[in-house]
Amino acid sequence: MLTINNLHASVAGNQILKGINLQVNAGEVHAIMGPNGSGKSTLASVLAGRDEYEVEAGEVSFLNQNLLNLSPEDRAREGLFLAFQYPVEIPGVSTTNFLKTAVNQVRSYRSQPVLDAVSFLQVMKEKMKLVDIDQSLLKRSLNEAFSGGEKKRNEIFQMAMLEPKLAILDETDSGLDIDALRIVAKGVNALKTPSNATLVITHYQRLLDYIIPDFVHVLYKGKLVKSGPKELAYELEEKGYDWIKEDQKNLTA
Amino acid sequence: MIHLGSNTKSRIVSKGISAGKSQNSYRGLVKVNGRARGVRNFSQCDSLLLGDQCGAHTFPYIEVDNHTAQVEHEATTSKIGEDQIFYCNQRGIDTESAIALIVNGYAREVLNKLPMEFAVEAQKLLALTLEGSVG
Repeated sequence: MLTINNLHASVAGNQILKGINLQVNAGEVHAIMGPNGSGKSTLASVLAGRDEYEVEAGEVSFLNQNLLNLSPEDRAREGLFLAFQYPVEIPGVSTTNFLKTAVNQVRSYRSQPVLDAVSFLQVMKEKMKLVDIDQSLLKRSLNEAFSGGEKKRNEIFQMAMLEPKLAILDETDSGLDIDALRIVAKGVNALKTPSNATLVITHYQRLLDYIIPDFVHVLYKGKLVKSGPKELAYELEEKGYDWIKEDQKNLTA
Repeated sequence: MIHLGSNTKSRIVSKGISAGKSQNSYRGLVKVNGRARGVRNFSQCDSLLLGDQCGAHTFPYIEVDNHTAQVEHEATTSKIGEDQIFYCNQRGIDTESAIALIVNGYAREVLNKLPMEFAVEAQKLLALTLEGSVG
């Protein structure tokens, strides 16, 4: 589904990603872990197509298309979803209104009939249950004066509405208490199907107790330096990232 | 807004949108008569800038002849952020619709007060005027 080949990217002249290789197949959950500043969020932003990030080399193919040639909105319409680490506030625009615009633009791109208000609300009611989200929240301005947990739950709710092929969760666990974490993870798990895939970016193993990954990768200094089964996350939790750093030093020495 | 009677209240909400090379000014007079006691006024002036060649200016005129009056003025200027547009893009909304969405959200407080027919018309007019205003 997603193939990243030797991806190099920089922001404002600083090279951050230095040759990422990753293969994600349908039905898989991949976790990317790594210390601060290793390039985790950069990877998410590059995949989503944020303007400030310059791709210097490498290819990314998504559903057999060259992802890097698509505009951010077309990537989203093709089925790439990024749950933001810091969701943006849009004053005066309710979540409902925002999502209706988004869902219908995506649908018309996929040549599906657009949803009218009634059927849209019906779909919305169904999906609301997934993340225990309250109707009153959806009437408020998007992300404005939302608590940390509400913002993240709202991201997962949007994910449920847009039914992406590949969902990238960028540190969705940051700023969440245990209960909110469980609700968010429950939502993500409920949305998992054999035909979609999830890329979970996180610092901590904690989230991976709830969202069980098939593969864990460690990103360090712009490269995926280690990959393994989910047990790798426990090892990291126990030993910290220092041993990875040591390993790397020994390798280059 | 001229307050002649005692204990009268008023609220002014002005929402300006500047696109392209336009300059937008708000000039409003709030006057309180010397015999009017306990007058209250609240004025709010918001400006939204699209692009970096436009401007917004606010000139509130306040003439108060009675010391019991309470007159407030508040002004904000904001710009549509790249972040907001990207967020919309990431959900599959193209940039033009994203701007229309954000602008309508911004003007909602005022549009909501209009009778239905006007509100619909105003919303369409906004979308029409903004078409192609941001490259």
